[in-house]
Amino acid sequence: MNEEALAWVIRTRDPAFTDWETFTRWLEGDPARAEAYDALMAADDGLDSLIPPEPVAMPVAANDAGVGRRAAWRWIGGGAIAAALVATLSVGMMNRSDIYTVQTRPGESRTIALDDGTRIDLNGATTLRLDHRNARFAALDSGEAAFTVRHDAADPFRVTVGDAIFEDAGTMFNIVHTSRATRIGVSEGRVIYNPSAEAISLPAGRGLADDAQGLRMTDIAPSAVASWREGRLTYSNMPVGDIAEDIARTLGIQVNTSAGARAMRFTGTILIDRDPARFFNGAAPLMGLTAVRQGDGWLLKEGDGPKS
Amino acid sequence: MATGLSAIFMSNRAALLRFLRARGAGEDAEDMLQDMWMKLEAKDLGPVADPLPYLYRMANNLVLDRYRSSIRRERREQDWAGGAGGVMADPAEQVAVDERMILNQRLDQARAVLRDLGPRVELVFRRFRIEGVGQKMIAEELGVSLTTVEKDLQRAYRAMLALKQKLDTE
Repeated sequence: MNEEALAWVIRTRDPAFTDWETFTRWLEGDPARAEAYDALMAADDGLDSLIPPEPVAMPVAANDAGVGRRAAWRWIGGGAIAAALVATLSVGMMNRSDIYTVQTRPGESRTIALDDGTRIDLNGATTLRLDHRNARFAALDSGEAAFTVRHDAADPFRVTVGDAIFEDAGTMFNIVHTSRATRIGVSEGRVIYNPSAEAISLPAGRGLADDAQGLRMTDIAPSAVASWREGRLTYSNMPVGDIAEDIARTLGIQVNTSAGARAMRFTGTILIDRDPARFFNGAAPLMGLTAVRQGDGWLLKEGDGPKS
Repeated sequence: MATGLSAIFMSNRAALLRFLRARGAGEDAEDMLQDMWMKLEAKDLGPVADPLPYLYRMANNLVLDRYRSSIRRERREQDWAGGAGGVMADPAEQVAVDERMILNQRLDQARAVLRDLGPRVELVFRRFRIEGVGQKMIAEELGVSLTTVEKDLQRAYRAMLALKQKLDTE
């Protein structure tokens, strides 16, 4: 490994780095140095998928990593019957009078407390169906909702999203559902994705995404799950197209993206500001993008801001 | 628009061009500089704390983006020729569920590497690499010297990059 190039990778990655003249002179010393630097910067990009979401050697907040598992596996045993019940429910649901719909307008958010102690926070532009007769059921038709579920192993809470089912095992989780993608992030406990089919167990710090690229597991810092409730949007390697939808939902504005912007990804935290102009002024350069007004809405396009 | 940034750009044009050339932009350097100028003119950036470093970083990012897309293109062509699936071709991409076992194995190896580095090095590396905190601030937080933070980071980077290289060639 080229030690000098590595030192420059670290230096220039520092957000406080200013000594670009010295860096220029170092590069000019040998054309191979720029290549070595580029190669190491590219390798550095690849580290994202290799860094475990939780610290290894550092003290970690207590988390019941082992406890939830037993409940989850036990449930999978009885999964077929339960899943059949859920399927009947979703088919018959449309015309039942017990099913009611809760909707938020773009930019609006709302909290629902269910009888069983479960709390659901709805972000903007969200449609959720609930059942008067069954407090352990919710269907997220579109938008984003954070679920803080009172766990009951005998009667798990289930969220249907399109044709997928998420089932809690003592849980706080956030789901986004758009026409193109479904994403879930788990911040506490455990969620089982499609208990009767894939039966993928998602512990805290894990997520799952299902979009044009297919179904895959993701890592998400538990503190980043549903951070929109605290006025933050936190991402790790998230496609800009998905972020634009989050922004639109949260601020209640239309956000379009250029093809170039959609090809980009972002890692970091964006602070929500209700004033779109002020919001984009801070957020767009942070994502390396440019935001321009476009009629009533905004266009995010490829930019040039620093990505520290 | 005459913001401070444009003025700084104009007065440092030669230095930025020299930087782009040193970065290996070759004959594209002029064009890239022109791109930067258009973008600066087109958008209304708020006040930037440190305008010249900001412009350098912008230029550096342009070169990096160009390098990344050339790598992606090369890799696609290789995959195409080799008939390999795209999933494992780019370890930076998120991984299909079928591959989650492999991903977990990789993460376990990464955990072993970080464990060997020890808690302070891991903390420094995470603060810097994931949370984007500068080295000076990390040194202040931990009450250690800047040199210590620099050394910790180099150790962590060397170990993690070596692991990545090993996994990529497996």
